[in-house]
Amino acid sequence: MTATLAKGINAFKEVMDAPIASFFSSCVHCGLCAEACLFYTESGDARFTPIHKIEPLRRIWQQEYTLLGKLGSMVGFGKEVTDAELAEWESLVYDSCTMCGRCAMVCPVGNDLTYMIRKMREGMVAAGHAPEGLVTATQRAISSGSPAGVKWVTVQAQIRRLEKQHGYTVPVDQVDVDYLVLMSSWEILNFPEYLGAVGRILNQAGKTWTLASDAYEATNSGIQIGSSDLARELVSRIVSAAERLKARCVISPECGHAYTAIRWDGPNLMGRPFGFEVKHILEVLDNLRRAGKLKLKNQKSLTQPLTYHDPCQISRRGGVYEQPRTLLNACASDFREMADTGVMNWCCGGGGGVSANERAEPLRMNVFKKKKSQIEALGVKTLVTACANCRVVMEEALEHYGMDVEMLGLTEVVADQLEEN
Amino acid sequence: MKTAHPFTSEPGTVGEGLAQRGVSRRNFLKYCSTLASLLALPAGMAPVLAAAIATARRQSVIWLSFQECTGCTESITRSHSPTLENLIFDLISLDYHHTLQAASAEAAEQAREQAMHDNVGKYLLIVDGSIPLGNPGYSTIAGISNHAMLLDSARGAAVIVAVGTCATYGGIPKADPNPTGAVSVSDIVKDKPIINIPGCPPIPVVMTGVLAHFLTFGKIPELDGLGRPKVFYGETIHDRCYRRPFYDQGKFAQSFDDEAARRGWCLFKLGCKGPVTYNACATTKWNDGTSFPIQSGHGCIGCSEPNFWDAGGFYQALSMPITPVQGTLAAAAAAGAAAGVAVTWHNRSKKSAARAAHQKMTVDDLKREEQ
Repeated sequence: MTATLAKGINAFKEVMDAPIASFFSSCVHCGLCAEACLFYTESGDARFTPIHKIEPLRRIWQQEYTLLGKLGSMVGFGKEVTDAELAEWESLVYDSCTMCGRCAMVCPVGNDLTYMIRKMREGMVAAGHAPEGLVTATQRAISSGSPAGVKWVTVQAQIRRLEKQHGYTVPVDQVDVDYLVLMSSWEILNFPEYLGAVGRILNQAGKTWTLASDAYEATNSGIQIGSSDLARELVSRIVSAAERLKARCVISPECGHAYTAIRWDGPNLMGRPFGFEVKHILEVLDNLRRAGKLKLKNQKSLTQPLTYHDPCQISRRGGVYEQPRTLLNACASDFREMADTGVMNWCCGGGGGVSANERAEPLRMNVFKKKKSQIEALGVKTLVTACANCRVVMEEALEHYGMDVEMLGLTEVVADQLEEN
Repeated sequence: MKTAHPFTSEPGTVGEGLAQRGVSRRNFLKYCSTLASLLALPAGMAPVLAAAIATARRQSVIWLSFQECTGCTESITRSHSPTLENLIFDLISLDYHHTLQAASAEAAEQAREQAMHDNVGKYLLIVDGSIPLGNPGYSTIAGISNHAMLLDSARGAAVIVAVGTCATYGGIPKADPNPTGAVSVSDIVKDKPIINIPGCPPIPVVMTGVLAHFLTFGKIPELDGLGRPKVFYGETIHDRCYRRPFYDQGKFAQSFDDEAARRGWCLFKLGCKGPVTYNACATTKWNDGTSFPIQSGHGCIGCSEPNFWDAGGFYQALSMPITPVQGTLAAAAAAGAAAGVAVTWHNRSKKSAARAAHQKMTVDDLKREEQ
């Protein structure tokens, strides 16, 4: 068993569907997507034009699925897609696309380029043209349960520390609960305060919740690398845990693509609707607030000027952009919006698997110039977000550029605003 | 109206003419401001226009009417007194216009020859109506065929202005089967600048506006590919139509007396040709800015576009085929549909084959052998 060009080409043919065909046939070659892509705006390199990143897929579509293309191929017209070409495209498809979807917002014919990149990656990974970093992360995710190699014992150690700090018991493998709480590796390793915050909020709201010892990891490397088979394997772990524990709702953590993977791709990968709800933590918090279950202090705990970075998969691709603003305004007295914000935000530069791909680091640092200028224009020293991956990527970049900006996760901000019991 | 100048047709200045007519400077400046905005010129250009027009020698104009219905002349004179459009006639010296001039017969023809002689290379030649090439006898003036008169008059003209769809594109006389072999001015005259002002008829202020532009700047305005001044023909009726929001929302009248029509929804499905018609009707409007066809409930018929008479029924939506679908066309459509079915079947089987060839991916399949 190994990756081959033949497998890749077969995968390209297999992923071709009605949306892809209509996207390719309606593209008017206007190039507007380039201006929406931060890899293009920050480099001026035309190779980073989003639609160009899927050129091999377009050629397969044209040669295999259009009448003129078929006729052309018969008489020897039409350049075949080769291994060398896919090798050249690897960095365009994986390093310079965070699947942020900003290009899809400006496309005048409504082409969902993120969907196309996602399909393109199916063929790339089958042909063995996925970046080393993502391959390793995916292997670890399948074998050990987490792309960063975090094992359950690590989570247990975190649980013990939190229990000591907050004085409550973290429920594990409880059956018949309101919420099954998931985390991303980043939250387990770098931001344990997330779990602490979720526990405090859910306990105060009087909700039952649990962690699952066999499904604590929400991220999905299969989605990032572009393998539906592996993505299905990872999602099914969460689905079977949620069903076994009879959880009524699964909470996706502060992680962008995890939300996409469980909520949007999940049911399609499993081929059936879930018997439970999937919500992002910000949706859960805002629902609790609206139901009057979130008791917040009137005195706002954050008084410094601050801004909110919209994680692409949560705001643009997920539709959760009003909730963070309502929540943040309840906790902060000087919330300032960036110029491009909400569904038109600019990506941190590390989404869609780019942060797991060490080779892409120089590119990632370069495109952060966009976010840097946005932050500097506001003159704030505090940046709140709701995605641990955005947070890690931006903390590294802030360090790289020597910027004195503090980062906060929105869930902890809300937890710190809770009324003392 | 102007009569022939018996001794000379060297005209006086416009300012003198206006003063004689008792037009105040204030009124004249007001007219120039309107004109400037009409021509999309900056407001500061109004005094420049005024100065240029007031001191200009009155421009000698010869107006020829060929195969036409006099609607264009009706239109340009239809601006009611004392609106300022009327004054445009005092800015020019209309030396020949066989409908409007008092002189007749020999005296009339003499006026044309005199004006051509006195102002050779300088006069403005306005033409309405198409020119029959089928038989010279189809349309003559004083025994001279339209073709011969056009060639003769064009020779000494500074600029030719073709007004109306007949003169610009052949118009209704040229409509299928074109019994007279009608052609447009630009089909015949190739060596003179020609401004096309199409419309059946053209909007009065568009005609006068173009003349004023020429008078002021001494050159022709910027034209599009069909020889039309961009300032008036730069956008489609549809793009400037006040009913456009209904089109964008997909709200269409289905018949002229349904509820949607009463609510003023878009007339696209009732055959409105606004989307393919370049003209200023939706902005300058007609009858002193009162209304235009779409505003009164009827679709645009596209009268200012070439071959509008043969471009399908006036009540047929633009999306419908112009000629009945039959014979070869029907066969071609059937063949196309069959080809579509065949390609779809082929594509489906190709995709199924790819799906069947799919081997479930495991983590061991992520790398290539040689790595």
